[in-house]
Amino acid sequence: MNQIPISQAFLGGMILYAAAGLIGLIAARQRNLVRIAACALAALGAVLEGVASFAVIKDAHETIISIPSGAFFLPYTFRLDPLSCYFNLALAVVGLAISIYSFGYLKSFDSQKPVGVFCFFYSLLLISLTAVFTAANAVLFLVAWELMALAAYFLVSFDHEKDETRRAGILFFIMSHAGTGALLVAFLLLGTWAGSFDFSAFHVASQTLTPLQRGSLFLLFFLGFGVKAGMIPVHVWLPAAHPAAPSNVSALMSAILIKTGIYGILRIAFDFLGIPPLWWGLLVLAAGTVSAILGVLYALIEPDLKRMLAYSTIENAGIILMTLGGAMVFRSYDRPFLAAIALAACLFHIFNHAVFKSLLFLSAGAVVHATETRNMERMGGLIRRMPLTALCFLVGAIAISGLPPLNGFVSEWLSYQALLGGFGSTLSLTRIVFPIAGSLLALTGALAAACFVRAFGIGFLALPRSSQATHAHEAHPSMLAGMGALAALCIALGLGATLWLPLLDPLVVQLVNNKVSSNLVLAGGLVLSSGSPKGGTVAPAVLAGLLVLLTLLPGLLLAFWRRRRRTVSGPTWDCGLPGLTEDNEYTATAFSKPLRMIFAAFYQPRREIQTEFEVSAYYPTSIRFESGVEPAFETHLYTPLKDRILARASRLRTIQAGSIHAYLAYIFITLVVLLLFGVRS
Amino acid sequence: MSFVHDPQFGDRMITLMAALVLVLQIAMVGQRWLITNIRMFALQSFLLAAIAGTIAFFNHSNHIYIAAVLTFVVKTLVLPILLERIVARVGIQQEIEPLINVPLSVLISGGLTLVGYIVAESFYHPEETSAPAALGHNTLAIAIALFLIGFFMMLNRRKALTQVLGLLSMENGLFLAAISLTYGMPLVVEIGIFFDVLVAAMVLGILVYRIGETFDSMDVSKLRRLRG
Repeated sequence: MNQIPISQAFLGGMILYAAAGLIGLIAARQRNLVRIAACALAALGAVLEGVASFAVIKDAHETIISIPSGAFFLPYTFRLDPLSCYFNLALAVVGLAISIYSFGYLKSFDSQKPVGVFCFFYSLLLISLTAVFTAANAVLFLVAWELMALAAYFLVSFDHEKDETRRAGILFFIMSHAGTGALLVAFLLLGTWAGSFDFSAFHVASQTLTPLQRGSLFLLFFLGFGVKAGMIPVHVWLPAAHPAAPSNVSALMSAILIKTGIYGILRIAFDFLGIPPLWWGLLVLAAGTVSAILGVLYALIEPDLKRMLAYSTIENAGIILMTLGGAMVFRSYDRPFLAAIALAACLFHIFNHAVFKSLLFLSAGAVVHATETRNMERMGGLIRRMPLTALCFLVGAIAISGLPPLNGFVSEWLSYQALLGGFGSTLSLTRIVFPIAGSLLALTGALAAACFVRAFGIGFLALPRSSQATHAHEAHPSMLAGMGALAALCIALGLGATLWLPLLDPLVVQLVNNKVSSNLVLAGGLVLSSGSPKGGTVAPAVLAGLLVLLTLLPGLLLAFWRRRRRTVSGPTWDCGLPGLTEDNEYTATAFSKPLRMIFAAFYQPRREIQTEFEVSAYYPTSIRFESGVEPAFETHLYTPLKDRILARASRLRTIQAGSIHAYLAYIFITLVVLLLFGVRS
Repeated sequence: MSFVHDPQFGDRMITLMAALVLVLQIAMVGQRWLITNIRMFALQSFLLAAIAGTIAFFNHSNHIYIAAVLTFVVKTLVLPILLERIVARVGIQQEIEPLINVPLSVLISGGLTLVGYIVAESFYHPEETSAPAALGHNTLAIAIALFLIGFFMMLNRRKALTQVLGLLSMENGLFLAAISLTYGMPLVVEIGIFFDVLVAAMVLGILVYRIGETFDSMDVSKLRRLRG
């Protein structure tokens, strides 16, 4: 494809997104029209964006689109290079599925809710995300970044009648702005040192900076982007905002908005700031490991389905950061081949996580809509009532748990290989870091699997645990279509991993100037290798075939046995109490109890039992049981910080007298003093 | 009638009128009656329009004539009528109650004039002989003084309407500075500023009306009650 159709498709996609948003504002009264038109336009826009991005990645051809603007320092310049387009492609794929899903999902909104306004902010979020990924100068980037945060804020606060939602929105707003503050300082410093706000100037200028300057820039960028990436300890907005938002928004935020942080870290670490010193990579690796392990630990005990998914997002962001940090370490050791493998793992996991996490959030949205609760203790038995949704959730759960043959398995396997590869080929101090990180990644994977067994088992299997769950109904066909497309993509990305990996080559070449797919894909695309002779190999397609065979085997055996044996069916043993009810079921809390005991040092569990009785404690009239865990980051980090800031701020209240005359006097005195000062000097 | 075309004469005329503008400004600070204040503002604006007209005449620049006419129409006719109408509608007391008493206010205004001259001094380059630089010396000082005294008027007065007057006379100072230093900004900018002032006065008028309705008074110090 030559240059013109790419830029036209890109801009066309943006225009379609904008049209979707404008329709939401103009025709806000016609709810059905808005819903259908806005979703269709957004879906079409996503298709165009996807085509443009795919073409850029496939041809490894960079396209620059510059639209002149009135302000001389802010031309709207978009640079479509493979890295940008990879993220934009993920956005387009997820955005397409979510837009299709939203046809049905928006129908379920209360008739008082402004669907048009929702569509406007949804489209604005799509546009700003596209602009964040493709902006080619710092000013445009920051504008897009802030637009994105604003649009996301309004979408998170969409159910603003609820106190919890408003608090979540404000928490997101504050954290997001703290991060942007760090970014603003970093970009201004870098822009001043480089003498230009153009991204291409940054790369050149960073060669001349001192290590101190580069280090402080990196820390600022890392903090600023880390907030959006959901890195621990700046993750607190994520478990609050994701559950509060409507589910299609949670899906978009968790799948893509989180990735803007990762994109930023990739840009600065591999593009702007040149070859990183060792400690940068180790810092990213450590932050990733902490996020992965703590994220999954929190996810494991969370009864709220969507909040559990939010914690799982933190975990996956951690995994991505681990491989990213690994790649940086390899780069500073000048091991381009290992760096390329780690990057390939990182990039592949980014895409995979976007697909399966949006799938999970969308199916969670269908479930929450059907059962009117997010608490999985009140679901249950949904596999009979909404079988297709259950199937989609199951596919997502298998993928995110890293089980073969789905896509999560491939990228997590590559991540292990990359991390373990670091053991043999780096120097003594750091070589021990990699096996530790690798084993913690293994622990994370196992815990994540437990977490999703719990979610699926408690949420979808057994008997309904509430009357809402009993009367749940299958989701709207368009919602199923959106989820089904993502589920199919999970399977395709897993089985055809060897076909997809070569597509990552242009990106890896762009970032570390090395090609890996020819080493990773062996035997004509059947076998996936770790790239080094000592590492392992795996063939996802063969594994899948084996799995199917092994699943069929018991069925065949059963059929064989059944011919000979008479089957006796009877009721489940009920301890002598007639009639098993939902109260006898195993609960989510009980499921995670052993793990809560093992990790008690971390959770600091709290348990309170109050029994009321009249005659003897053996015959209680009522029992109240309460248990919970210590929210460590909130109590030990954020609450003291907040208190301190508020205490300082309240001292400033005396200036704010509420009198216009006082305010005018402030301005007036400042003006006169500045005038005289200006004359003096 | 040859002296009419003498640029020296024009400069003196402008300086004289600018001085009158300043005198009117200080008189506004000392004046206690609201209606009189509005009329003084109208007179001041008329003088400004005359200054603009003089500059246009001596520099043969037609677009400053437009600015002069606009000043005359907007500030000498429309705004004073608008303000007097608000006074009539709200039915407020005529007397202005300043926060600082009149003698002290006038003294402070004198001090601010001094500040204006100190600031303008630093922009004065006698070696530059072109007209704006020489003309700017006096009129710039007066313009800055007008601005500062206008600001001080806003500060010093309780009633929202008199604060609007302060704001408008501040704008007069800006206009004087702009026209005397540059011999007129581009017409688009001028029109923009006029439109801005008109809108500001409208909005403030509505605000005044609302404040009067809500608090049964135009005393802005009662807005303190809005504090959470």
